[in-house]
Amino acid sequence: MMEHSEIKSVVEALIFAADQPVTLAMLKKQFAEELNGTSLDSIIDELNEEYQGSGRAFSITMVAGGYQMITRPEYASWIKQMYHGRTKNKLSQAALEALAIIAFKQPISKAEVAAIRGVNSDGVIKNLLEKRLISISGRAEGLGRPLLYSTTREFLEYFGINDLQELPKPREIEELFKEGKFKDEIIEVLAETPEDEEQAAEASGQDETQAQQPEKAGDGDRTENPSE
Amino acid sequence: MSYHIQLDTFDGPLDLLLFLIRKNEIDLFDIPIAEVTQQYLEYLDLIKMLDLEGASDYILMAATLIRIKAKMLLPKSPVEDEEEEEDPRDELVRRLLEYQRFKEVSIQMADLEQARRLVWPRRFFDYDLGDDDEPVHWEPDQNYSLFDLMRVFKDVLKKAPTVTEHRVETISVTSEEQMDYLLKELHENNDQILFYETMEKLQNRLVMIVTFIALLELIRRGMVVINQSSVFGEIWIKRK
Repeated sequence: MMEHSEIKSVVEALIFAADQPVTLAMLKKQFAEELNGTSLDSIIDELNEEYQGSGRAFSITMVAGGYQMITRPEYASWIKQMYHGRTKNKLSQAALEALAIIAFKQPISKAEVAAIRGVNSDGVIKNLLEKRLISISGRAEGLGRPLLYSTTREFLEYFGINDLQELPKPREIEELFKEGKFKDEIIEVLAETPEDEEQAAEASGQDETQAQQPEKAGDGDRTENPSE
Repeated sequence: MSYHIQLDTFDGPLDLLLFLIRKNEIDLFDIPIAEVTQQYLEYLDLIKMLDLEGASDYILMAATLIRIKAKMLLPKSPVEDEEEEEDPRDELVRRLLEYQRFKEVSIQMADLEQARRLVWPRRFFDYDLGDDDEPVHWEPDQNYSLFDLMRVFKDVLKKAPTVTEHRVETISVTSEEQMDYLLKELHENNDQILFYETMEKLQNRLVMIVTFIALLELIRRGMVVINQSSVFGEIWIKRK
């Protein structure tokens, strides 16, 4: 039976030496029976408290389902300077868009990504594959049996999140409708000829936006709409 | 060779449309199609000048806008008035909103990316001196895709001796034979063999290719699995 402090040191060593996030299962496997009910979670907490208390420049974080030692963000500029010229570029807006779509609709085909973005996405997807942020996860049953793509563990690591639940949620269409002054009367309004009666239509329905309140869980994740 | 210049504000026709709608403070649900189309076409001219390949998607959207406009100008048949006729703009609005949802998420993901770029994990170290004789960090739950296998196979082909003198010869080797060969190799080596090593033994491009096809077939039949000890590490072929 190992001492508590010994277990703590071993956990620290394992996470320190790992070249990818260490999962709880991986840690447990190393200890076999010697853990004897010691909670690894609380051991990690203790380590983090010690680091914090003694002013260490790193901490243990949970990412992609495992523990990983990372430097504190305060020291970013120093490390950046050291790695000068070796840091990778950020993803392009196009790549982020494609990733957002794949993350929420996976598994998804290239054509479906392109349909939502309204623009050919072959190049972007090839690039994401090479960066290992997505992988081929199968084929669709439909016409032509197109390849399907899903996000990877590297994707979670890249964005520093533990699982897909931690991604910002896309707002519901209904919510956007509401915001866009969408009304039940939309059909009436739209049935009118566009040019002349436009203004009349706009003026008439301005205040009726409360008509439908979409009941949506997870509203807390909402952020400001960039269009406002 | 094409010159690809990204107009960094727009990531496609929907993005451009959303931009125009915002710029003109237009109600998304009552888009003045004529006005938007006019402005859209002005940008399109610019895009056509700069980027021929991507322009086709923008042109498609321009055509869509014009079609919507034409539909709206057509007099409605009085008979159908009873039913709730769909506005020709509805489909476009739906697409714009669906696109906007993910655009918003992607902007927030850029924040996550930025935050992650401020911290460094301990992993940029590679003291491995290439001793790949044993799969030390065996990770049976890491699944590598066929994409990885294809990439490694490209490497192998690069290593294969290139023929300078051209001889025509028939190599009678079939994928069935090579499947047997691979299974035999596996059998003699404790049911796991290194991809590179196995391929290098063959010394002939054609045989390599046939063997690769045989390997794919074995994977398809579920008789072997592939596995990699680390990123860019050796690929192992393992008997299932």
